[in-house]
Amino acid sequence: MVHGGSVRAPDEDLALHYAREFYGRRQESHRLWVVPRDAIVELDDPDLLQPPFDRSFKRPGGYLIKHKLEAAKERARQGMTDG
Amino acid sequence: MDEATRGALAELLLTLADDEFVLGYWDSEWTGIAPMLEEDVAMSSVSQDEIGHARAWYELLAGLTDADADRIAYGRAPDEYRHAAIMNHARTDWAFTIARRFLYEHADAVRLEALARSSHAPTAELAAKMRREETYHLLHFDVWLRRLAEAGGESRQRLADALQRLYTDAAAVFTPLAGESLLLASGILPEPLDGLRLGWLAAVTPPLAGLGLPGPTDAGPPAADGRTRRTADFAWLHGEMTMVARSEVGATW
Repeated sequence: MVHGGSVRAPDEDLALHYAREFYGRRQESHRLWVVPRDAIVELDDPDLLQPPFDRSFKRPGGYLIKHKLEAAKERARQGMTDG
Repeated sequence: MDEATRGALAELLLTLADDEFVLGYWDSEWTGIAPMLEEDVAMSSVSQDEIGHARAWYELLAGLTDADADRIAYGRAPDEYRHAAIMNHARTDWAFTIARRFLYEHADAVRLEALARSSHAPTAELAAKMRREETYHLLHFDVWLRRLAEAGGESRQRLADALQRLYTDAAAVFTPLAGESLLLASGILPEPLDGLRLGWLAAVTPPLAGLGLPGPTDAGPPAADGRTRRTADFAWLHGEMTMVARSEVGATW
């Protein structure tokens, strides 16, 4: 489920119709879920979402593996010619 | 298919195409000025759907009569169009537009339901395809009818006035066709148009009654000129919608 966008509408029926027009009329959607704004539970605490310490180890980009990958490829190539 | 039946089918297809074409043009006039941004997009999109349906019917007709679909759509004089009298009126106000849409969408739904059972396979296939898209149109304009009716005051009054003004011309969707007996005999049209008119009355009466609005009365088969009488409003629209095509006759788009 990804956020498609928002619409303004006076009631549920028209909210669905407008969601269909804005996010479904070009056959780009298979399903749409529409919820009223006040039903959305929000999390915006920066201590939870943007903690101050380095979190790069939580992301794949936090690891430098390029040279390891190249070495592995080289080993594989050697193995193929040797074998 | 014999020549006379082919002519009757061509007459039927032209009425289907012209209804959708002219309505699509009228309501695309809301683009930029609909009551709110979301509805502006919705109304423009629904109008485009109708032009798309018109195009499909014109192409089927063009194949049948060895003609050019664009030329049929844009190359005729105002009195050669065969849309129902309900499309003779200008866009007017939002309540009028909703009243016309509500009445026409239900008429179209009844007609497409029958045509989906047509013995002419290309017609049946197109009708079945269109019904899937028209489902949303029905829902949308049913919702708007309810909103305006329940809003009371000026909204409800304008809606009620528009409905009253349109009932006779709306029934003209079911104006008898010259070749109707041939269409019925061949199964191209599975039900007489006047039977479909009664189906339409049965479809629109309960929702209107539920909102306390006076519905159309059964005034018998529509007058013979239901698809040939024309107005100054339509003459104006015709000038608008053919303007580009007329600016360079014979151009390829």
